[in-house]
Amino acid sequence: MRQSRRDLMFKTGFAFGGLALAAHLPGGGLLATPTLAATYVDPLAPKEPHFPAKAKTVIWLHMDGAPSTLDLYDYKPDLVKLAGQEVPASFLKGIKTSTQGGVGKLFASNRTWKQYGQSGAWFSDLLPNLAQQADKIAFIRSSVTIGATHDISILKLNTGDLSPGRPSLGAWVTYALGSANPDLPAYVVLYSGKKEPTGGSVNWSSGFLPAVYQGTAFRPGNSPILHLDRPELVGLSQQRDDLDLLRRLNESRDVVYPEDTELQARSRSYDLAYRMEAAAPDAVDLSKESEATKALYGLNDEATRDYGTVLLRARRLAERGVRFIQVVSGPLEAAGEDVRNWDAHQDLEKNHGAHARAVDKPIAGLLADLQSRGLLDQTLVVWTSEFGRTSYGQSGNGRDHNPWGYTQWLAGAGIKAGTTLGSTDEIGLKAVDRPVDTYDLHATVLQLLGLDHLKTTYLKAGRAERPTVVYGSVVNEVLA
Amino acid sequence: MAAHMRNRSKHGFVALAFGLAATAVCAEDNQATSDAKASRASRQHWAYQRVQSPTEPNVKQKDWVRTPIDSFILAKLEAKDLPPSTDADRATFIRRATLDTWGLIPTPEEVVAFVNDTSPEAYERLVARLLASPRYGERQARLWLDLARYADSAGFQNDLLRLNMWRYRDYVISAFNQDKPYNRFIQEQIAGDEIAPGNEEALIATGFLVGYPDNSNSRDLVQRKYQITTDITDTIGQAILGSTIGCARCHNHKSDKFTQKDYFSFQAFFANTSVNEKIPVTKGEYEREFEAAQAKWVEATKDIKARQKALIDSVREKAVKYHKERYLTDSRESIFKPVEQWTALDRWVNHRVSYVTTENDLAAFLRYSGEDKESPDFDKANWDKWLEYRKLTEELKKFDKLKPNKGSIYISGVTELGHSDSPPTYVFFGGNHERPEEEVQPAFPESLTTEKPVIISTEKSSGRRAALAGWLASPTNPLTARVFVNRVWNQYFGKGIVGTVSDFGKAGDRPTNPELLDYLADSFVRNGWSIKSLHRQILLSRTYRQASDHREDAYKADPENRLLAVFPRKRLDAEQVRDSLLVASGKLVEKVGGPSVFPPIPANLNAGPLWEASADPRDHNRRSLYIFTRRSVPYPLLEPFDMASAQQVHSKRDVTTTPLQALTLINSDQVFAWSQALAGRVIREAGPDESAQLDRLYRILFSRVPTPSEKAVLLAFLDSHGRSIIEKATDGRLSLAVPIGLKDTPSRDPLRAAAWVDLVHAVANSNEFIYRF
Repeated sequence: MRQSRRDLMFKTGFAFGGLALAAHLPGGGLLATPTLAATYVDPLAPKEPHFPAKAKTVIWLHMDGAPSTLDLYDYKPDLVKLAGQEVPASFLKGIKTSTQGGVGKLFASNRTWKQYGQSGAWFSDLLPNLAQQADKIAFIRSSVTIGATHDISILKLNTGDLSPGRPSLGAWVTYALGSANPDLPAYVVLYSGKKEPTGGSVNWSSGFLPAVYQGTAFRPGNSPILHLDRPELVGLSQQRDDLDLLRRLNESRDVVYPEDTELQARSRSYDLAYRMEAAAPDAVDLSKESEATKALYGLNDEATRDYGTVLLRARRLAERGVRFIQVVSGPLEAAGEDVRNWDAHQDLEKNHGAHARAVDKPIAGLLADLQSRGLLDQTLVVWTSEFGRTSYGQSGNGRDHNPWGYTQWLAGAGIKAGTTLGSTDEIGLKAVDRPVDTYDLHATVLQLLGLDHLKTTYLKAGRAERPTVVYGSVVNEVLA
Repeated sequence: MAAHMRNRSKHGFVALAFGLAATAVCAEDNQATSDAKASRASRQHWAYQRVQSPTEPNVKQKDWVRTPIDSFILAKLEAKDLPPSTDADRATFIRRATLDTWGLIPTPEEVVAFVNDTSPEAYERLVARLLASPRYGERQARLWLDLARYADSAGFQNDLLRLNMWRYRDYVISAFNQDKPYNRFIQEQIAGDEIAPGNEEALIATGFLVGYPDNSNSRDLVQRKYQITTDITDTIGQAILGSTIGCARCHNHKSDKFTQKDYFSFQAFFANTSVNEKIPVTKGEYEREFEAAQAKWVEATKDIKARQKALIDSVREKAVKYHKERYLTDSRESIFKPVEQWTALDRWVNHRVSYVTTENDLAAFLRYSGEDKESPDFDKANWDKWLEYRKLTEELKKFDKLKPNKGSIYISGVTELGHSDSPPTYVFFGGNHERPEEEVQPAFPESLTTEKPVIISTEKSSGRRAALAGWLASPTNPLTARVFVNRVWNQYFGKGIVGTVSDFGKAGDRPTNPELLDYLADSFVRNGWSIKSLHRQILLSRTYRQASDHREDAYKADPENRLLAVFPRKRLDAEQVRDSLLVASGKLVEKVGGPSVFPPIPANLNAGPLWEASADPRDHNRRSLYIFTRRSVPYPLLEPFDMASAQQVHSKRDVTTTPLQALTLINSDQVFAWSQALAGRVIREAGPDESAQLDRLYRILFSRVPTPSEKAVLLAFLDSHGRSIIEKATDGRLSLAVPIGLKDTPSRDPLRAAAWVDLVHAVANSNEFIYRF
């Protein structure tokens, strides 16, 4: 069959095979919607990466509200010295601030700083436990992003765009690699606190990718997925018997549609669902963990129990082959009266005191636990936020939003542990060398999963879309 | 086949490598790359040429042909020596046609009437009845709303309610039901305010433009204006032109020769477009209901609101100033400029500030000035005022239940703020609005047409959108009709004649049957852009009437079924699944239009105040298109079934098959309760005989009766299932789910009654129900 090159290129994307073909293509290839029975292949079937993967699982720790990394990792003696003074004009050059008539005075919080580990990384007294894990971490001190408000910057952090509609990073990963465990969703979202994070599902949406790739939010409690529990009056073996009847009914029609793999897949999906009814609660059942493990994550302490529970769940999901685990830090009563997340426009001392306390031990516990179980070299942990906070103060004792320079870190699979990349200026306001944008972070995460961000594409309305939009380069300096 | 696959995927990488080398994201095309110079002289891309009037091809099997569509299809089949399929049986046909036109399964009575209709006009009568029903408009509207990224909330973190948007949804339903000509339909949506000033319906139609996701707290209004215009431009480009012109925002389009200049010239049509969410509407029943509800809330909260207002009044001037100072540098330039110096851009920015600013925004000043000792505004007294304000806000929340979350007394539509001059539009380097280059004027993309816009401004409006709408709706536009008829074809056959329904550019699929596409587009325009005529033509074609049964010969010759020798079976869309389950259970509340409703959601969704299920149980069982589209809380029963995302144009419903879908249908308390209701309904309607009950159940769900062997399986299940039910008994007690809606509890064995419910639930979960064949 002779065809022009043009034909071949476009048919690859759409006409021939659809999902069947996509399944053969590393990283998903150009995927189209299946419309025909004959070509149906499970969209979540595991796919080969572009090159051998360092990481099997990503645990993406989003600190919601934006912590001041100036008060956690980025030690600035000059800021302490200059505290109380006006920001020298040279530092403000080229940034668009959201305050008329100048910004607040430089502000230093009441921190003590120490270096830890072989690497000598600085940690403030807010993170005593994480500091003990210093040598597992690669810091990016020169993170930058866009945006003055949380929601657009959170969208960008997760999807690469300031407007909703693009797939989140986890959705791209799921699309490109499929599922490693059909009994569980391949992409899970966890959150601490009682309520779903505000803004909700756009931050784990599949965007223009098929809905099958979106994140599944795991709810608190022992029934993490919506509709996981049988109707109240239906027993377990009763449902098994119901599903057996259903299978027979479906099979009786197979005669008419013998080649219809989509119909067959739908029949099978009920068996998967039945297995998920058991597998999902088991995955979040912490009663199977030892007391020592629970203590490691801080489950024995009111202040750390909530977030620790979520991270211990994350580890259990990682063990079970979930590809992408997106963890959103929840609000805390103790953080302040109006602002409950990390968004410390005022009273940073109280706010960050509470939040750092809530996450410090659990995150340290997670890193230690992953290592002791031999999981750290296949699990990538990313500590991230929508932006950082300013060196100048706000309301006297808080800090405003800072997209110009802040710290994020990576640890685990494929990461050059104990390194620091980039820096901010003397007062910690702007990145001065090697700025790393969210696109670069995404490209790096994909790289560690064995995916070339430039080749991870999906053909949408004639446009080969990729996770990094038209930007992004791998941050090789933090890779082992 | 396998060898071909490998071959193709290798070439797939060639395509990708191009993209990489050029740092491009738009799909490449060889004409646009290596042969670029040569091709410039060569003929224009097929989709950009005028629609032709192709003659109906000659076919051998003339007696098969019922409409010209069939000749176009049959000619291709005969060329491959493939016979078409036999007609589907009538019961299958009516189920298919009812689902396709109404989005609902037919009743057993409708099926019987059609099957027994001996008139030679039986099909015509059926189709006429289907197209005359308001259910037709409801179904077709849903698909248009996908393109309009319709939602009842603004999205982003605050996800504010948009309580006026349902009027636009109702406009769309009514447009389909009235068979409003498609050209008029799109003109009203893009320029209703300009082409029909003072016409309320046309103003509501512009809701199409104002449906963009928005964050009212954005502090960068110049950026926000650009993002809004981008959304509008890309929405129209994809939905109406089937064009990826949006690709040219950051760089010249790689394959379609849309330049950045083309792109920003297109944006220029919307340069002066603002939104007004408070256009008073003619009051009717809904408005009076809303006002009555609103009045109760206003009365209950009057004192609190007055006290809050007094607190803000004491600092209002300073608070407003402080609030305005929170905007970013370039927004502030507009905000702090005296009114008499306002440019068109300043008007836009200040209008925006005026309608997004709330009293709570101003209250932030109390807090700041009461707290920040460094501030020149510092006033300790304000801290107490802030505490008081906050306390009142908490008190106010107690009355939230009284606050109506449905209905309104306003229209959301577009406005040009009473001015005819537009802000300038520039080409932005790399799509970055902070790097403007040359200024551009409104113009149609040069690769599509040589026509120039004739812009006639009015006293109150630039006239730009009317000019654009006129071109889009013109019979000479090469894309508008083709794109729309292809979408309708895609609806019926699961795949468009052009597979990439929103990309008719060079990177998109080529039409599998270009003559058929042009025939449909041409006759569509000739029929006065009548959408119903288009549907009728397809519904009455022999092509649409074919059986979907597997045919080995067709499968071998055309595994993709591109030639349509077999009718393609299809999984129901999310709304079709839910609505048909409601029909089967007898619980569907049919009422056309009105404010969107909040049916229940699972408790563990933890949506909090974002979703308060409606107290009125009738709201729980309305058709799915009336469910409130909350951008941050997609309705959980629909979401797993590939429902449309409301964030951007949703071009095509995917079909994915996942265990989460199975969990939803088998475990949702709502769906299970519908099965209980269906179980009761069947007993009511069929009487005590189990064999008759099974017949009735199958007639309701599948429009057929079970085969003897199916019946044997089902009866055996009723006999044996009791044993598995008993297993869940605890302490000798057993609670059972029994059929709902039976007047007298019959002397029936309760275990068998519970088994009957489970049987019904399993049958409702089967492939045969959730597909249409």
